[in-house]
Amino acid sequence: MKSKFDRRRVAQTVLWLRLSQMVINEAYKSGMFKVPIHLAFGHEAMAAALAYALRPEDKVLLTHRNIAYNLARAYRPRYVSAILRSFLHEYMLRPTGLARGRCGSMNLTHPSVGIMYTSSILGNQFSVACGVALGKQVRGEKGVVVVMGGDGSIEEGAFYESLLFAKSVKLPILFLIENNEWSMHTHITERRTPIALGPLCASLAIPFVSLAGNNVFLYCEKLVAMRKKVQQLGMPLCVEVAVKTLGDWYDYKNPQHPKGKWVKYHVGASPSVSLSAWPLLQQHADDPVFVLSKLLPLSTIQKEAAALFNRLQRVTP
Amino acid sequence: MTLLSFLNQVIRRETTKKKVIVFGQNVAAGSYLGGLTSDLRVGSGGRIINTINAENTLVGVGFGAALTGAHAIFFMRQIDFLLLTTDHLVNTYQSIRGKSERMTGSFTIVSTVIDHGYEGPQSSLNNLADFCSLAHVPGFSITNKVDTESIIPRYLTLPGFRIVVASTRMLRGNLIEPARVSYVNSDGTLFQYDDGKDVTVVCFNFSLPQGMTLCDILRRRNVAPSLFNVNAMTPIAWKRILASVRRTKKLVVLDDSKSENRSCFSLLAEVEAHASLDKRIVVTRRLGREWLTPNPDQFEVPYQKVAHELLGA
Repeated sequence: MKSKFDRRRVAQTVLWLRLSQMVINEAYKSGMFKVPIHLAFGHEAMAAALAYALRPEDKVLLTHRNIAYNLARAYRPRYVSAILRSFLHEYMLRPTGLARGRCGSMNLTHPSVGIMYTSSILGNQFSVACGVALGKQVRGEKGVVVVMGGDGSIEEGAFYESLLFAKSVKLPILFLIENNEWSMHTHITERRTPIALGPLCASLAIPFVSLAGNNVFLYCEKLVAMRKKVQQLGMPLCVEVAVKTLGDWYDYKNPQHPKGKWVKYHVGASPSVSLSAWPLLQQHADDPVFVLSKLLPLSTIQKEAAALFNRLQRVTP
Repeated sequence: MTLLSFLNQVIRRETTKKKVIVFGQNVAAGSYLGGLTSDLRVGSGGRIINTINAENTLVGVGFGAALTGAHAIFFMRQIDFLLLTTDHLVNTYQSIRGKSERMTGSFTIVSTVIDHGYEGPQSSLNNLADFCSLAHVPGFSITNKVDTESIIPRYLTLPGFRIVVASTRMLRGNLIEPARVSYVNSDGTLFQYDDGKDVTVVCFNFSLPQGMTLCDILRRRNVAPSLFNVNAMTPIAWKRILASVRRTKKLVVLDDSKSENRSCFSLLAEVEAHASLDKRIVVTRRLGREWLTPNPDQFEVPYQKVAHELLGA
């Protein structure tokens, strides 16, 4: 376990995720990208906490909405401008991009910081994570594997199969499920019966943890403890975190809803998010930056955010 | 000796050499997949895992293990189960192979085509090439002693991904030991077993036994055949076969696949474009009314008719 809880570094990571996404969103609005990008405003707390909790030997597998985790794992305070530029270039498919312009957004990997694989196919990543954990085990490598998915991906049979395989073969995997309640344009209540992950995991004798509230410091403590448990037991563990994807609600018209239906942001530039409004998006606990402002002195956050903002807003592709 | 015993022997020799992960349902239990995985051993630190019944996940596991640099071999009872895994065969494979970093690990699926008959409609799929064409997946058929000795040692743990398949009909039969090998391409995926000047016979999928029988009949009639077996499932360089066809001017293609998208079509298109023929005979499966009910599942070649047509040309 890390000896000192670096609250400032964790807070900086949250702000980095928020502000860098805001810059990317502005570039997106200007029509700079051809690849679809699933922004993750509102996902910053868990992404920052995971980056804090993981060790260099750990491996991470992500989904199409990977931007927060990728930015968090790439974060180096001294090089924020260069890092942001590498993401912009990747989304522009330039050879100077993070993955030499070969991945774009939905399949963006960053092997040097442990991000081995990302999948735009729901549930696909869970079994690949099992293989990564098995491969590491056979090769005698240390570390755990973290695989992220959303509430939509746990509807796939691959999720159950992978939990079963991981438990049966005794693989140190942390299944991290972000529940934002939406799968594209349908809310959970519109598409399925509730899934009680706790009892599901219990049926396989897999420990389960539920998190909510966007308290990044609490998430850090919990994830460090979970990582330790996964490694010590050599067994999988599942954590579900409640998250609200911020950015936009918009009126979606289709034959079923000719007068329109309010749906959550899913993909693309968010027109309602403006760089000038930094760093808060909501005065509500759904916004991790708002929660951060209750955990640290507001002046500290404003100072950190201003310094970062000054550097990032000058970044041009 | 059967092909099954020989294939098991060669695989066993290879898995012992390296720290591999051998996995699949019943790989180390019961009948050992009909004997295919009997008595397998792995190099120090490797693992043999009797897995759960979850083909889709197991293929994802293989890709994940290969990503770490490990060598994974998944033994799957029959290729019909591969249908459950097409997401990984296409999307995961495409995602991994598109990376600029070279893949150091390997993942090989070893499976069988169930073609010994009377299995019923859900085990009627016999064309590995259909899976391979989805994402340009390297795929190899195993049919005899020579190609087993060439393909298994070379590809079983070679970095990258591939599918290797044998047919149950041939696995249960006596091991075919070709008397001559005139040519093997650099990939070990095209084999020439005879280099006659009169007619070119090319076998696809699992039709080599029929091709050998036809060649025997032709030789008895003083016709010298060139016999090829195409063990690759995705298009390969046809140069050697084209050279033979230009010389013989007579081509017989045998393909026992039930697919509408047969590998032999690629060769036929090349021949059409680059060679002029006096005779072209293509023998493929005729799927009658019994196709989707339990049936003998035989690929019947009208040998005498083919020979007669060739001699009359």
